Amino acid sequence: MRNARSASVASVLVVAGVLSALPFVLSSYNLSLVAQVGIFFVAVLGLNILTGYTGQISIGHGAFMAIGGYTTAVMSRDHHTNLVVTMLMAFAICFAVGLLLGLPALRLSGAYLALATFALAVSVPLLPLKWSKFLGGRDGVEAARSVSNVWLYGAAWTASAILFALAWLILRGRVGRAFRAVRDSEIAAVASGIELPVYKTLAFGISAAYAGVAGSLFVLATNGFAAPDEFGIALSLQILIGAAVAGLGSLWGVLAGAAFVGLLPSVSGSVPVIGSQHGQDVVFGAAVVLVMLLLPGGFAGLLSQLRRLKRA
Amino acid sequence: MAVNRRKLGVLLGVLLATAAAGSAAAASHSSTPGVTKKQIVIGGTFPYTGQAALYKTIPAAEQAYYAYVNAHGGVFHRKIKDITLDDAYDPSKTPGQTKKLVEHDHVFAIVGSLGTAPILSTWNYLNKRKIPQVLVATGDAYWGQCVRHKCPASKTAKPWTMGWQPDYPGEAKVYAKYILKNKPGAKIGVLFQNDAYGQNYLAGLKAGLGSHKNEIVDTESYNVGDSAQQIAAHLIAMRTHGADTLAIFATPQPTIFALVDRTAIGWNPLTLVNNVSANRVFELAAAGAQPGADLNGIISTTYLASATTQANLKGMKLAKKIIDATGNQALEQAFAEGDGNIVYGLASAWTFVDALHHAGKNLTRAKLMHALRNMKETHNPFVYPGMTVKTSKKRNFPMEQLKLIRWSGGKTGDWHAFGKIYTGIH
Repeated sequence: MRNARSASVASVLVVAGVLSALPFVLSSYNLSLVAQVGIFFVAVLGLNILTGYTGQISIGHGAFMAIGGYTTAVMSRDHHTNLVVTMLMAFAICFAVGLLLGLPALRLSGAYLALATFALAVSVPLLPLKWSKFLGGRDGVEAARSVSNVWLYGAAWTASAILFALAWLILRGRVGRAFRAVRDSEIAAVASGIELPVYKTLAFGISAAYAGVAGSLFVLATNGFAAPDEFGIALSLQILIGAAVAGLGSLWGVLAGAAFVGLLPSVSGSVPVIGSQHGQDVVFGAAVVLVMLLLPGGFAGLLSQLRRLKRA
Repeated sequence: MAVNRRKLGVLLGVLLATAAAGSAAAASHSSTPGVTKKQIVIGGTFPYTGQAALYKTIPAAEQAYYAYVNAHGGVFHRKIKDITLDDAYDPSKTPGQTKKLVEHDHVFAIVGSLGTAPILSTWNYLNKRKIPQVLVATGDAYWGQCVRHKCPASKTAKPWTMGWQPDYPGEAKVYAKYILKNKPGAKIGVLFQNDAYGQNYLAGLKAGLGSHKNEIVDTESYNVGDSAQQIAAHLIAMRTHGADTLAIFATPQPTIFALVDRTAIGWNPLTLVNNVSANRVFELAAAGAQPGADLNGIISTTYLASATTQANLKGMKLAKKIIDATGNQALEQAFAEGDGNIVYGLASAWTFVDALHHAGKNLTRAKLMHALRNMKETHNPFVYPGMTVKTSKKRNFPMEQLKLIRWSGGKTGDWHAFGKIYTGIH
């Protein structure tokens, strides 16, 4: 037990060390790619709390990213708000919206919940068309300022670190145990005195808040430009794929999952033969299929298998 | 504990990196990126995959033209290298790909990138960095409206962004004129793409109809990626509303669906398609589908020479030579069948090379923009004979002329031009 803990402390330190060294080694462009990984890290981490730890499926997290992203773009456009403050606002607003939308999650489960969140992913990005004066309509919203790659990198990974710590604190204690109990058997959880409505909505709220911060960073990564088309259903699916590759219910797998969805679309362009022109999507799709075939439990599954081998 | 250290580490790293980046930025800025004595590197994003992949002959034709120019000595002995990346017509992918072109490949300019939403998602970035984003393959009015001052689409002027083709609202006004003249009291149904692209067309049609805009009895919007069945449902709805005139403001694939559906449901209204989709190969695809679309009498516009009906023009002979030199059989076949996008790519690339010549030997980004903003091309061999590509201080739309075309000859037919050249549209 003690060994396991010091091992995980060591690995956190190694990751932190590598991340803080990268700005000195990488070119500005490559740094922006690693920042992209940081953004997906936050989103996948959030989804993992909901899906992996609490057992509630969501294919609608792109919607929360849209809310977070628009929060940043609109606040910056109208009030020149400090961008870090807009991220905190994105967190708060999405937490509230997530709690509200978590209410239907009490009634729905499994495929039905998945469908409801799917509807969310489809409908939320269309809201800017309804209130086009405030939300820019089809032409999108331009933030008052855009940030450098280094700024984005720092912001993305600082947010990742803080939210990772927060997730760790939440999941290691009472709340985390309740989440897992809900995931494993709702009836057993209720029998043990866990209030199902409270924990299910809480999980939804936290998860949405994470997606909100990711969305805020996502908009900064697209040069401070938020438009409905950026937050299509594909984005929600990307986060879900990230969570699946990560393996449900492991914080460490999240890093691998985020790297997968954050880097692969850019890197796959350099694959020879089908490379730059034909088939970002082909390479991405093939990689997803391969990972799912070879690592059905995602990277988390791989890690625990390795641990078991070591013990044997 | 571990968490705190990690956070501190990251923060420290960021602070140091910011300092390093600051000093690095101060050191650079000596010569024009992407330009050397022997080479000019440009880039662009195109839909090689996805819904709008039918456009992919455009970048192929542009590269064919640059290869032709390079084979004839280049521009001031510089060869043009064109790096094109796939964004699948998805504005969430365009910023990443554009960033790659600018920060990784260090391109001199973004040339010809395709799609309204993809351009909107990157023009902020490029204009702030003063990187030319020119001859974009989209006809929205923004590219001409936002040059010097803020406009509906942007709070700031976007002097580094520029279009090439006639703008969509202006094109729609030509259709409005045609309807008013040839079908008074028409009942118009409009099928349009549910985004800035489709809405600009619709707005243009309404403006063109003026006091007659109540002749529009139904507007139906489809989304990128909709199926033939979904498009058919829209057509049926329009017919139910009593429409006897159909305007299709769509990208190629949905247009093909709509033309096939229109025949399948046994409807034969006066039909107008926007010129983006009035490309012979797309109409042949619609005619060759099951059941084949009945195309006779469909109206559209053009601003390009036709490789099929005007094959004897000097420009079209040159085009054939350039395309044949690529050795790309699919491209050659598409050209022979009348793929207007190939002519489009050649014409747009011709303008770019022309501007490079005018920008002079000591090429800079500002000089390129100056050349592009003061063009007078009366001899672009690939545009419709008699049309001029022209810009000036007062004129920000390079191509402001259109000619009506009508399909005849059924399944193996073609577009035939008729009437006068409309000038000064936008």
